[in-house]
Amino acid sequence: MPLPTVVGMDERIVMVDSATGLRLTEGELDEWSAAATVQLRRRGVRLGDSVLICLPVGPHLLVATDAVIAVGAVAWPLPAELDACDLRRRILASHARVMISDLPQALDAADGSRVRTVVSVADLRVLAPSRRDADRR
Amino acid sequence: MPDSPRHNLPAEPNRFVGRERDLDDLCGMFGDTRVVTLCGVGGIGKTRLALRVAARLVPSYSGGVWLVELARINRPELVVREIARVLGVPEEHTRPLLDTVAARLGGTRCLLLLDNCEHLVDSCAEVSARLVASCRRLSILATSREPLRIASELVWRVPPLDLPEPGAPDAEAVRLFRDRAAAVGTRLGPESQADVARLCRALDGLPLALELAAARTSLLSPGQIADRIDDRFSLLTTGERTAPARQRTLRAAVEWSHDLLSAKEQVLLRRLSVFAGSFDLDLAEQVCAELPISGAEIVDLLGGLVDKSLVLCDESRRRYRLLETIKRFAAERLAAAGEHEVVRDRHLHVLCELMQRHFTVELSERRLPWARRLAALTASRTLLDDQRAALDWAIESGSASQGLRLCFRSTGLLPVSGLTEIVGWVERLLALDLSQVPVHQIALAKAYLAYGLEARDELPRSLELATESLPGLADDRFRACVVHNLLVMVWLRLGRAEEALHHAERCLAVATAAGDQWNQAAGLAGLSAVALVRGRLREAQRHGEEALERAREHGHRWILARVATQLGAVAEARGDLVTAMAHYEAAVTWLRELGTGVELARCLARAGRVAALLHEFATARERLAASLSLSRHTGQRQGVARCLVGLSVLAEAEGDLEAAVLAAAAAATLRESIGQHSAATRIEELLARARAKLGEGRASLLWSRGRTMSPADAAQRVLDGERPAPADRAPRPRSARVPHSVLTPREREIAALLTRGLSNRAIAEELVISPATVARHIANIMEKLGYTSRAQIAVWAAEHPEASA
Repeated sequence: MPLPTVVGMDERIVMVDSATGLRLTEGELDEWSAAATVQLRRRGVRLGDSVLICLPVGPHLLVATDAVIAVGAVAWPLPAELDACDLRRRILASHARVMISDLPQALDAADGSRVRTVVSVADLRVLAPSRRDADRR
Repeated sequence: MPDSPRHNLPAEPNRFVGRERDLDDLCGMFGDTRVVTLCGVGGIGKTRLALRVAARLVPSYSGGVWLVELARINRPELVVREIARVLGVPEEHTRPLLDTVAARLGGTRCLLLLDNCEHLVDSCAEVSARLVASCRRLSILATSREPLRIASELVWRVPPLDLPEPGAPDAEAVRLFRDRAAAVGTRLGPESQADVARLCRALDGLPLALELAAARTSLLSPGQIADRIDDRFSLLTTGERTAPARQRTLRAAVEWSHDLLSAKEQVLLRRLSVFAGSFDLDLAEQVCAELPISGAEIVDLLGGLVDKSLVLCDESRRRYRLLETIKRFAAERLAAAGEHEVVRDRHLHVLCELMQRHFTVELSERRLPWARRLAALTASRTLLDDQRAALDWAIESGSASQGLRLCFRSTGLLPVSGLTEIVGWVERLLALDLSQVPVHQIALAKAYLAYGLEARDELPRSLELATESLPGLADDRFRACVVHNLLVMVWLRLGRAEEALHHAERCLAVATAAGDQWNQAAGLAGLSAVALVRGRLREAQRHGEEALERAREHGHRWILARVATQLGAVAEARGDLVTAMAHYEAAVTWLRELGTGVELARCLARAGRVAALLHEFATARERLAASLSLSRHTGQRQGVARCLVGLSVLAEAEGDLEAAVLAAAAAATLRESIGQHSAATRIEELLARARAKLGEGRASLLWSRGRTMSPADAAQRVLDGERPAPADRAPRPRSARVPHSVLTPREREIAALLTRGLSNRAIAEELVISPATVARHIANIMEKLGYTSRAQIAVWAAEHPEASA
């Protein structure tokens, strides 16, 4: 999975994914979390909101957490290995409106909760040009 | 022309409660997201929320906000048709309807609200994906139990209302319950707080369930309702709060409310499920009054159902309707009671009778004032959805004969109303078993098919069917005459005056013997048209004048407009432009009363062209612009081409040969693209004059430039003319690149640091703030500038050095 990079930036490594050995540079992290932050805002996440994050440990989790904090929201990490009952209990308790996850068990557990939108890892990375931008051109 | 409303959203039936934050969020999303689907179980309030969002967005969509109700549609191919119908886009025979709809939407900023997509989710997905891809400023808001699953979609799950919690007793669910209880006159004091909270929790915060319960508070206290609901739900409450559990909760609430109805109310509720959309008392009385309920009881029973929130009505209590969830439940009950077939048969039968009455009043009855005819036409048009539902049933139940009877009375489905929908219905009915259908009906069916096909320009098939139908219509003089008239038109369009003359004469003879004013007028107009193509102007004038007399006696605006247009053409041929103009203007007034777009557009274009020749430039411009806008708003390329020709005439009359050539060339290209020929002589003459005046090279350059110009640009070139462009048509000033002042000093500082390729951490160190704060600033900058990466900010900051602090 190629990550977006910005040439000329500091090439410091900030994380190594122990499962794949893939390395995440500081530049990549900055760029990616900036995009993720905009995505969360577009989905209505505001200062002080709770955002559930249910992702396996790895670079995605780091980016998602960074982005949630950058929006000014409160991160509610959910361990991916929890059983359905515990997941559901915690999701209901959070009153979160947004969840970041790709895991089917988390999506099922969010059914009937206060979660309005589920943001996938792919959603966080792809940043379509905004309408305002398209109109300006 | 007066501004028509830019939306078709219904008035809200009662107060909207809660969901304030959701409304803000959803409205905000439409800046960046093209397709938002509100998902959730029935009764959760998807439609209501969507309507509220759509209403709030009306000011942001200059091209309008259009509600497309899909619940009543039952076949996937009808999705596009329904969208087209809402947008007022008729089918062009030269391209698929979806293309015409996409062309109509074009670059306008529109919001389509597709309500209740679940039963047609694949078709909705396909249509939405296609429209969003081709119309760059279109947004779609859909409601569905299932997501559409298309690339650009944002799935938004509609949650139940917030439930009361210790310390937060005024949750959304409680507010809704209290509001609806107050609406039935119940004042709930503080002592009921605990019971209301218990009830809200038992009903899972489902808005529809809460409304049904609140409607009962005039008889039962919240505590009593909660007890009964608890009893009923004791089997259901497993502690699960999943979607299937919610469905069961809702189901139980609807059943509970239903079981409390009187036996007769139950019967009426289930029978009301056969209506396509909203209905009035009269229709309900005719369709639903069957043992055990009588017609006289229905008004009270219906009132009872409204009080219990099972039926909704508008403020004037004229139109009633069922919520989709209730309608499905009622339809199940209808089937369980074994009444499905009987009541749908009755619905079909009642519509046949009603339409028969309207048809007679509108067209064939003699000496009626126009107001009565128009009232019949309007009434028949309000029944269009029910006519479609009844035709569906006729096809489903194999009743070809009844279905055809309905078609024969439905002016709303005919080209007179700007629709050629009749073709599809008759074709489907004729595909059924016809062994029980009388010969006369088959002949009529062919005649109606021929009528629709002529309007679609399918002349050979139309000719064949119309000719075949005639022998079977000997006993139906009114319609035999209509077919003769149709044949006059078809033969004239095929350039065969001799054959046309024969049918015009036949029509006139039969209509005169029967004292049928409508067809006398039509036959005389046909004779006038034949005389005109043969160059016998005086004869054409005489027939035309007589036709006008007959048409005036009848009073129907359509036949009056048709005859006036014919007289206009005769006057034009005589060179009497002033008289021609007067006739066309009269026809325009009449067609406006009828509200038929395609014919109105045609007539406006003629009036515009003649006004141009009379050097009444302001009038010409106004008529041509109105015609162009009608054709563009209905996606009719033939109409646009006609306007371009008129505009070319206008430009030349004003002495602007260059614009005249451009418009003519654009018209020729457009006509070729739909397989039509242009009038070669006018183009040749125009080009000859252009060559003489502008020179050979310039003329052919203009011609080739016009051929590649968009029709809209070519038209605008003439419409703008020497006058200053009106404000609404002036091109919007290109917004300058974002001034750096939109950024705060801190943001400008950070933007400048990005040009040096610094990381968030490095920027944080430099400014002595946390990296998270840097990230937030960068997100702000991206949003303000509409950028999607840090690199873009860096480039922008480098190009705007004044931005650096």
